[in-house]
Amino acid sequence: MNDIAVMDVTFTLNNEPASARIEPRELLIDVLRENFGLRGAKRSCDLGVCGACTVLVDGLPVSSCSTLAADVAGRSVLTIEGLGTPQALDPVQQAFIEHGAMQCGFCTPGMVLAVKSLLAAEPSPTEEQVRHYLRGNICRCTGYVKIIEAVMDLAKRGARLKTNP
Amino acid sequence: MDAARHLHNTGEIRGDYLEKVTGQAQFASDVVIPGMLHGRVLRSPLPHARIRSIDVSAALAMPGVVAVLTGADLAELSAGRNSHWGLYLRDRPLVAIDRVRYVGDPVAAVAALDEFTAEEALDAILVDYDPLPHVTDAREAMAPDAPLLHEKMDKIQNFYFRGGTNPVEGTNIFQHYQYAHGDVEAAFSRAHRVFEDSFRFPMVVHAAMEPHVVIADWREDSITLWSGAQSPTTVQKALSLLFGIDMAKIRVITPYVGGGFGGKSSVKIDPLVTALSWKAKRPVRVCLSVSESMLTCRRLSADIELKTAVDAGGKLLGKSVRVVMNGGAYADTGPAVAVKAAIRAIGPYHIPNLKLESYAVYTNTVPGAAFRSIGGPPAVWATESQMDVIADALQIDPVDFRLRNMLDKGGLVKPDLRPIDVDMPGMLRRGLAAMDEAGGNSRASGVAVAASDPGIHALGSALVRMKIDCSVLILTNTIELGQGAHGVLRAVASRVLGQPLARIKVATPDTDLAPYDWVTGASRSTVIMGLAVEEACAEISREVRQLAAELYGGEAAAYVLADGGVAGPNGFTSLLDLMVRANGIDSGEFVGLGRITPRYRNGDFSRMPLFWETAVGVGETEIDVETGEVRLTRYVSVADVGRVMNRKSAEGQDEGAAIQALGHTLYEELVYEDGQPLNASMIDYHVPAIDEAPREFHTVLIESGDGPGPGGARGMGEGAILPMAPVISNSLARQYGVRVRELPLTPERVWRAIREVQRDARRGK
Repeated sequence: MNDIAVMDVTFTLNNEPASARIEPRELLIDVLRENFGLRGAKRSCDLGVCGACTVLVDGLPVSSCSTLAADVAGRSVLTIEGLGTPQALDPVQQAFIEHGAMQCGFCTPGMVLAVKSLLAAEPSPTEEQVRHYLRGNICRCTGYVKIIEAVMDLAKRGARLKTNP
Repeated sequence: MDAARHLHNTGEIRGDYLEKVTGQAQFASDVVIPGMLHGRVLRSPLPHARIRSIDVSAALAMPGVVAVLTGADLAELSAGRNSHWGLYLRDRPLVAIDRVRYVGDPVAAVAALDEFTAEEALDAILVDYDPLPHVTDAREAMAPDAPLLHEKMDKIQNFYFRGGTNPVEGTNIFQHYQYAHGDVEAAFSRAHRVFEDSFRFPMVVHAAMEPHVVIADWREDSITLWSGAQSPTTVQKALSLLFGIDMAKIRVITPYVGGGFGGKSSVKIDPLVTALSWKAKRPVRVCLSVSESMLTCRRLSADIELKTAVDAGGKLLGKSVRVVMNGGAYADTGPAVAVKAAIRAIGPYHIPNLKLESYAVYTNTVPGAAFRSIGGPPAVWATESQMDVIADALQIDPVDFRLRNMLDKGGLVKPDLRPIDVDMPGMLRRGLAAMDEAGGNSRASGVAVAASDPGIHALGSALVRMKIDCSVLILTNTIELGQGAHGVLRAVASRVLGQPLARIKVATPDTDLAPYDWVTGASRSTVIMGLAVEEACAEISREVRQLAAELYGGEAAAYVLADGGVAGPNGFTSLLDLMVRANGIDSGEFVGLGRITPRYRNGDFSRMPLFWETAVGVGETEIDVETGEVRLTRYVSVADVGRVMNRKSAEGQDEGAAIQALGHTLYEELVYEDGQPLNASMIDYHVPAIDEAPREFHTVLIESGDGPGPGGARGMGEGAILPMAPVISNSLARQYGVRVRELPLTPERVWRAIREVQRDARRGK
C-alpha cells in the first residue's frame, strides 16, 4: 500500500481549476466521486458500455469508469453538477423534467451530458441522429420514448435558433 | 423567477426529477458512512462442488484487509439459530458452508479499507473444490437420476406470501402446483379440433442500472442498513431471524433506488453484507457490479405446453397448461412465480374446462426470482401465440377469435378469483382503433391481450404529519425506484389536505420511522399506500375540522382544509392561529395514521386479486429477410388503469415495461454452457438500446374510475410487459408466415424459419 507511486493531476473541473493527488491506476469516476464528492456520475456496468458514468472531457462524452484520471491532465471535465443547478437548470435538464424523461434517474446524469454534447455539435439533430448518438447510454426504465421526445423538443428549439438567431 | 419552484408547482412534475437531473439525488450506492469498509464477494467458479477447504490466511495478511467471512464463521455467528434463509424454503446459507450450487454462489466475502484491496484479496483466497455433477436444464433436473441440489426441503409458511410451497422431497422440484375445473379430458375427446403447442421462454436478467448495494453497520445488538431493497420490512424480518436481534433494533433505510423490476424485492444480498459487518466489526459497503447482479437473480425461464380444444364455431372448450420453470440454485420467490405462470396462461377468456400444472425446479444456475409480472411474460407469450395458431388453422380472424371467447367485465377467469373488473373487449377495440388512427393497419398487425392477477398482499400503513405551517411530511416504507410512487402519494395528500403539492414531502423510507409496508412491487403502491396516505390525511382533516368547529363554532362538516389553514362559515383561519387558540403556543402538529389490511372494506381486500392488471398490445414489425433481423416499428399499448395519477409517470411505466419486453422478445437470454453462464455482463448481454425503440409508441390509458385505489385507481406498470412477445411473434406469422416458438427471436432463429417457409413454398406445400 505504501510503495505505490502517487502523482498530481491538474485539470479543469466544471469550469474551475482542480488538482488531485492520485495513484496512476485510479479511474476518473473514483476521483470525481471520492476526491471531489461529485456523485452524479454513476457506476453501473463498470465496463464502459452503459453510459451511466458519462462525463464530458473537452466537450465529448467519455465513460469515466474506464478512463484513467491521469489522462484528463490539462483537459476540461464537465460533470452533471457543473451543467446546471436546481436554481439555474441547463435547457437539457429542463427538457428532461418537462417530458418526464427519467424514472429511477440512475442513467440520467450520463444521458443528459450525452445529449448536451450532441446538441453542442448539432443543435438540430434528426431523430435518426439522436438514436444513433445515444446508443451508448442505456436506460432500463423509460423505454426511451420520453427521452427521444425531450431531445427532439430541444432539436426543434435548436432549429428555430438556427433560423432566427 | 425560481425555475425549480415553478416546476414543482405545476402538479404534473415529480419531486424527484429535479434532484435526479442535477445529479443531487442520493442513491444507496452514493451513501458514505464514516469509517465504512468496502466489501467484495468471492464467487464460485464451478456450477456444483463440495468445498474441501478454504484458506484465507494470505488474504488476511494483506495490508488493508480487515476481515474475511467464510462458512466457518457461521457456527459462531448463528449460535444455534439456523444460518440458512429463504422465502418459502430455508435453502440458502448466509455464505457457502461446504458446498456451492451455481457459478456465482458466494463463497467468501472480504472487507478492506478500499475496494482495490478487497478485490485483490479475493485472488489470495484459496478454495479447494471437489466438483459434483451439475444440471442446468429444468427438464433434465426433473429426471430421476439428476444430481440433487438440496437434500431436504425445509419449508416456511406464510413468510412473505400467504401459505407455502409444495415441493417433492427427494427431487429437485421445489414447487408443484395443480388446479382443475370442469373435465378437460372430456372436452378434448368431444372437440372439433385439439391444438398442442410448446413454447420456450429464456432466462433473462433485471439489469437495473444501479446494481445491488448494501451498507451494513452491525453494532452490539443493533443493525443499521442502507439498502436498495424493495421490501425493507422483509429484510428487517429476515435479519432478525438470522441474527437473533429484535426487529425494532434493525433499521433499514432506503434512499432512491436505481431500478428494481423485482430484482431487489424480498431479500437479496442484505444477509451476506450484514454478516460481513459482524465479522469486520465495522460498517461495510458492498456494491456489486451489474455483472455480479446478473449472478444474483434473474427471471425464471420456462417451457410451456398448451393443449387447447375448440368447437367448430371457434369456441374454446377446454385447455390444459403445463409449465416447467427453471428455478435456479435457490428457491427465493420461485414457488409463487410458478403458480402465477400457470394462472396467467389462462388469459381473459371463458374456458369451461381447465387444467393447470406447473413446476419450479432447482438447477445449478443463478437463483430465479420475481421479475415484473411474475410468471406473466412466459404465460402470455405461449397463450397468445397459440390463440393465433388456432385462429389461423380455423381460418378465423385472430381478433374475432379472441372476441368470441373473451370475458366481459364481471366474467370469471378462474372461479376462486375476483371477477375480471375491466372491459377487455372494449380495451381490445380501443387498441385496434388507436393503431388505425396512428396510420397503421390493425388488420395486419400482431395483436395480444393479457389479464394478470397481481399477487398483492394488502398490508401497509402510512403516517402523515401536518405541521403548523401546513407543510406535510409523509412517512412510508414504500420506496421510490423510479416508478413515481412518492409523487402519487404527494398528490393524494395534496388533494385530501388541500395543500399545494410543493409543500408535501415524502421522507426517505426508514423502518425506524415509517410503519410497516409489505413490499414495493406487484403494482400495489398506488392502491395500498395511496389508500393508507388517504386514510391518514382524512384523519388529520377530521381532527382539524373538529377543532375548528369547537373553537369557531358550527359543524365540522362546514369546514374545509385550504392552502395554509381551514376555511369555515366565518372565513379562513390559518393552522397556526388555530393551534395558538387551541394550545396556547404556536407549536405542535397533526398526525394521522392510515392502515390498510386484508380486513379493509369489510374484508374485500382479502379477496384475490385486489384488481386485474390487464393489457392490450397491437404492433407492426419489419423483418430483414436476408438477415432475419426483426424491428418493431409501431406499437400501441392499452391499459385500463382506473385513474391516471400522473400522466407522464403512468405513460413512462407503460413504455418502460413494453420496451423491457422488447428485450426478452428480440435480444435477451442468459446462456449456459457446461454449467457456465456465457454472457453475464453488459457487454455480452444486450438490453434494448435507444435505436431499437419503435419509431412510434402510443399509450392509451383508460380511466374507468372503478379501481380500488384513490380516485378509482388501479395499479399499473406490469401489464405492458405481457403482450409484446406474442404481438411481435403474431405479426411475423401474419406478415411472413413464420412462427418461432422460442424466445428471443434472434436473427438466426427468424432467418432459419424464413428459409423453412421459403423451402416449403418451393416444394409447393
